[in-house]
Amino acid sequence: MIRTFLDGLYLLAGYLAGGFLIAIFLLMMALSLGREVGLNVPAGDDFAAWSMAALAFLGLAYTFRSGEIIRVGLVLDHLHGAVRRVVEILCLLLGAGTIAFFAWHAVAMTYDSFRFNDMAQGVLAVPLWIPQLGYAVGLTILAIAFVDELVHVLRGYPPRYEKPPPKTPEEVIERAIESGV
Amino acid sequence: MVAELGLVGVAAILLGLLLGLLAFGVWIGVALILVGCAAMLLVTDVPLGPVMATTVWASSASWTLTALPLFIWMGEILFRTRLSEQMFLGLAPWLNWLPGRLMHVNVVGCGIFAAVSGSSAATCATIGKIALPELKKRGYDDSMSLGSLAGSGTLGLLIPPSIPMVVYAVAANVSVIQVFLAGFLPGLLVMGLYSGYIIVWSLLNPAKTPPREPTTSLAHKLRQSARLLPCLLLIVGIFAALILGLATATECAAWGVTGALLLAWGSGTLTRDTFVQSLLSATRLTGMIMLILAGAAFTTAAMAFTGIPAALATWVEAQQLSPYVLIAALTVMYIILGCLIDGISMIVLTTVVVLPMVKQAGFDLIWFGVYLIILVEMAQITPPVGFNLFVLQNMSGRDSFTVARAAMPFFFLLVVAVAIITIFPQIALTLPRLAFPE
Repeated sequence: MIRTFLDGLYLLAGYLAGGFLIAIFLLMMALSLGREVGLNVPAGDDFAAWSMAALAFLGLAYTFRSGEIIRVGLVLDHLHGAVRRVVEILCLLLGAGTIAFFAWHAVAMTYDSFRFNDMAQGVLAVPLWIPQLGYAVGLTILAIAFVDELVHVLRGYPPRYEKPPPKTPEEVIERAIESGV
Repeated sequence: MVAELGLVGVAAILLGLLLGLLAFGVWIGVALILVGCAAMLLVTDVPLGPVMATTVWASSASWTLTALPLFIWMGEILFRTRLSEQMFLGLAPWLNWLPGRLMHVNVVGCGIFAAVSGSSAATCATIGKIALPELKKRGYDDSMSLGSLAGSGTLGLLIPPSIPMVVYAVAANVSVIQVFLAGFLPGLLVMGLYSGYIIVWSLLNPAKTPPREPTTSLAHKLRQSARLLPCLLLIVGIFAALILGLATATECAAWGVTGALLLAWGSGTLTRDTFVQSLLSATRLTGMIMLILAGAAFTTAAMAFTGIPAALATWVEAQQLSPYVLIAALTVMYIILGCLIDGISMIVLTTVVVLPMVKQAGFDLIWFGVYLIILVEMAQITPPVGFNLFVLQNMSGRDSFTVARAAMPFFFLLVVAVAIITIFPQIALTLPRLAFPE
């Protein structure tokens, strides 16, 4: 029950992030085409910037679970058994702690914007807490994913973000492309 | 606390912490945030959390950054088309006459694909998928085809658009377009060096190159290449818009996505499935990079509190190093670093510590971006974590040692390229200056 809910939550946030990518694309096309015919999207640049933040942070939990948040395997790849497990738990403890702290303050910042009724400085006076919502929510979901994974590993399972070594050339290529370079 | 430790002490603690965290597999973005926290706790009473939340928000909700996911998405769409088959068939008839013959398809094919893709591994994989088996079938030297492919794949980073260039431009706070434009001529230079090496090698080893294939009529050649036309149009369109200042980098990226979607649709590879896959892959890659950039933004802010970057900059100035010595020292450091970590992290770590130093020494930051990208290219073809080696090792079924050795000459050609652009920085700076006169 909880499992289905959490996995659904990560995936949903991932799809939402994808939606914001489409939004950036459409917005940019509208700005570029609109300029030719003298039409302007008010505060288009602001909306693109906010969509960028939402895209980046809402997708994080889904990216984390897919094992694509990058880490250095130099030492880790040579550890096995109990030692590996201990290091994995330490990493997850540090990760969960850091991201929870980060998420807490992102939420606090967003709440402050709401409380003090901060407005965007651009063409359109949008209340700032609305775009900041994606940031705060995305980090909170990432923190949940970290704690989720920590509990999972503490119960004796191998971490879910770990992928088996690639077998087919296609898998290798995909893995290499995930590195971003 | 900083009084007892001194600046050097603080720097040593932070560096040790960073290396320790990274070595034990803490996610790079998380490790950067932790180092930033440590820096602030050591030297200041300013509350950590609010600084973290506001700096990361300010750096992420950025209009310039939107070019990043769009270029990534464009590459993901094109990677799922049949461009690689068309590239080999379309280029082969034109390069047959050169000494080294079809091995030049690796260089030129990668160069062209690099102009639509921002990733080295994707470029290497896309061109290699067809070129490797075709070259093998025709009896070309294995080691040369592998090496030239590994080397040429890295052009994906240097010839714009380029994912690491966007990361650098954002982290160093310089114009994305200018860095893109600066990479163009050095990219051609590297292609020239690679092709030149293939020519010299073939002239020295005539027995290892298969004979020339029968020439075909011009009409036949043109028909073969016609299918490359849409891709070439896309490239020309993007460059024209960039150089003439018709569009911002982000608008170019959006047009690039449009072009890529049309290309995919035209070739019949645009299905609901590939569309969603390309979108989600782009989303994940963006998230991965953004977490690292978030960590870097916070660490940069935190480091400013410690005064370490400023002290380093002053120290470098006091040493009266010649620029060439500084660049040589940095190059050695980066080559070692490139054996340990991936390219994106290399760039981000750099901007936190090295940039103030480089600025103080009087280097142009646009130029430095190109320099850094060539060093990231080298990291792509040095073991043990060079991704291009990894890709080719699996595509060819050869062991990692063979592939790494095959790539070695091309690694040294990149060192030559670094030397050339250090001595003649105009090669990188001409185009950006032309488009943006100061």
